[in-house]
Amino acid sequence: MSKTIIDMKGIVKSFYIGTPNELEILHGLNISVPEGQFVSIVGASGSGKSTLMNIVGALDRQTAGHYSLDGIDITKIDDNELSSIRNKKIGFVFQTFNLIARTSALKNVELPMLYAGVSSRERARRAKELLELVEMSDRAGHMPNELSGGQKQRVAIARAMANDPAIILADEPTGALDSKTGRLVMDIFHKLHKEQGKTIVLITHNPDLAEETDRVITLSDGSIVSDRILNEQNGGAAE
Amino acid sequence: MNLFENIKMALASLKSNKMRAILTMLGIIIGISSIIMITTLGNILRKSLTDTLNSQGGSKLVAFQISMKPDYVRDYYMTEDLITEEMIENVSKRFADDIQDIVISGGYESGKVKFNREDLDVFINGVNPGYISRTSDEIIAGRYINDKDLAKGAHVCVIGEKQALKLYGGIKEALGQRLSVKFLGQSYDFTVIGVFETKMTAMMSAMNSLNTTAADWSTDIYVPYRALTKIYGRSEETFFVYYALVNDGVDPTDFCERVRDYMNGRYYRDNDSIEIRYMTGEAEMAMMDQVMGIVSMVISIIAGISLIVGGIGVMNIMLVSVTERTREIGVRKALGAPNSAIRSQFIIESIIICLIGGFIGIIGGILLGNVAGIIVGTVAPPSAGAMVLAVSFSMAIGIFFGYYPANRAAKLDPIEALRYE
Repeated sequence: MSKTIIDMKGIVKSFYIGTPNELEILHGLNISVPEGQFVSIVGASGSGKSTLMNIVGALDRQTAGHYSLDGIDITKIDDNELSSIRNKKIGFVFQTFNLIARTSALKNVELPMLYAGVSSRERARRAKELLELVEMSDRAGHMPNELSGGQKQRVAIARAMANDPAIILADEPTGALDSKTGRLVMDIFHKLHKEQGKTIVLITHNPDLAEETDRVITLSDGSIVSDRILNEQNGGAAE
Repeated sequence: MNLFENIKMALASLKSNKMRAILTMLGIIIGISSIIMITTLGNILRKSLTDTLNSQGGSKLVAFQISMKPDYVRDYYMTEDLITEEMIENVSKRFADDIQDIVISGGYESGKVKFNREDLDVFINGVNPGYISRTSDEIIAGRYINDKDLAKGAHVCVIGEKQALKLYGGIKEALGQRLSVKFLGQSYDFTVIGVFETKMTAMMSAMNSLNTTAADWSTDIYVPYRALTKIYGRSEETFFVYYALVNDGVDPTDFCERVRDYMNGRYYRDNDSIEIRYMTGEAEMAMMDQVMGIVSMVISIIAGISLIVGGIGVMNIMLVSVTERTREIGVRKALGAPNSAIRSQFIIESIIICLIGGFIGIIGGILLGNVAGIIVGTVAPPSAGAMVLAVSFSMAIGIFFGYYPANRAAKLDPIEALRYE
């Protein structure tokens, strides 16, 4: 069996801790994702999806429980190390693309490598390679405002791949796209998954997209209500 | 994350908001340029003043004058208090080794010279032979007033180059001519014995350029002071002040003290209210330096205030920029930018605003200072120290006023920042 990339045990997240309004959003989640799995997390608004994504993405820390990412215990590290984890282990893809304005597609892809301290020549080489992967080479010099939504998202995926992260964390990546371009973006994820064996976590409220993945975790009111393996070949690690 | 990348990023961000960046820089530009301008101007003025003073004896020229004693019993001068020719005579004999020249000015009248149908203004200066050494004048034809002229109270005069040209059509032509000057209600004839030319220092020419008649006429003529004494109907001249030019190698201050003590001991010991005091050229220059120092300090304080105001402007705009770019900051953090990278990004942006402003200010200040310098007639380089200070000061402003907004950006919660619309 392949190694475990995401290992979450008893993840609890509460807000307003110590106040009368204390609110527990996640109630002790156990999730284990093996390397190379394409897993989708689905759930209605308010189900705790975003909160979970923030914790998976090392943007936030859990209140209780244990989370280790690619063998690193996230619980015990400081903000700087957390930045470094996000930089090297996680590739974010956002619903609203979030490319840096007035910065070319190529420079956007280079950005995570810049923070990782990669030399400028190596950055440019790798960024070009990644833009080729998402078929955006001809738009490398374009500014984000010169790109369509689908093109932006492809650049964003290339950017997410920049430091060859342990997981790609995609939050509603097709949410702001029409179905045709959405399809194109999903195809890229499938390609990364199949050809490069990337571990991908897809957060979505679209059940159809979720059905394309290896495994669907359904969240409701901060608890996992179902965890289905759709593709045994890449699965196995579910509870 | 290296410095170069940060600088490129900051420049790109400033370029996207040019108008705002320029307006923000304005405070810094004004502050820095006024500091540079005032130091440049200060250098120009100091150079001019030193030139002027040096051409008129400089630090070798000292003055002795009567002043009130600290415990004076009357606050007015009497005839007996004044310095007599005999006193000066005795000083110049006693300190003959120290003194190059004694400079005396006795009598000063304004009069008119007739030329065609015009009445031209002249000022008649009663002087001694040594007087020329405390002016910027040089004899270009004939000679200056000598001891013989003085002793006789001869009606001879030394006139300016412009006067010679206007009245007699040439410099040589003026010599031996009779100049009729009307003053004190009467006409007096003086024989022209010499023509002088004024070696203009920058400052004098600047002052002269304000005087429209100066172009073809200058007003000073010199006569032996005893000629005036006779016209006044007095038997001898008395003075409030006289000057001495010390020999090379003589310490002016030491000389002054000796002369003062000599004169006070000999002539003013029994005077209840008056004594001799001295003033050295050095002290005079030091005084001017001090005045200029105060002026530049006041302007520097004002410039400093404008720099602080400018800095607050920078801080304000950086806060706006941080707020506007909250989402960008969130994205950068999600992509792995540590707080320090975000902080340095914004601090560098703020430093760059201030540095560009500072450089523009330096250039503006040099230009303004030298425009003023051209008007005065001297161009001086700005002081390198002031430039270094200006650059480091603008950098310090960038860091100081950029730190708070940058730190605010660095401490943003990435989740909140990503959610920011």
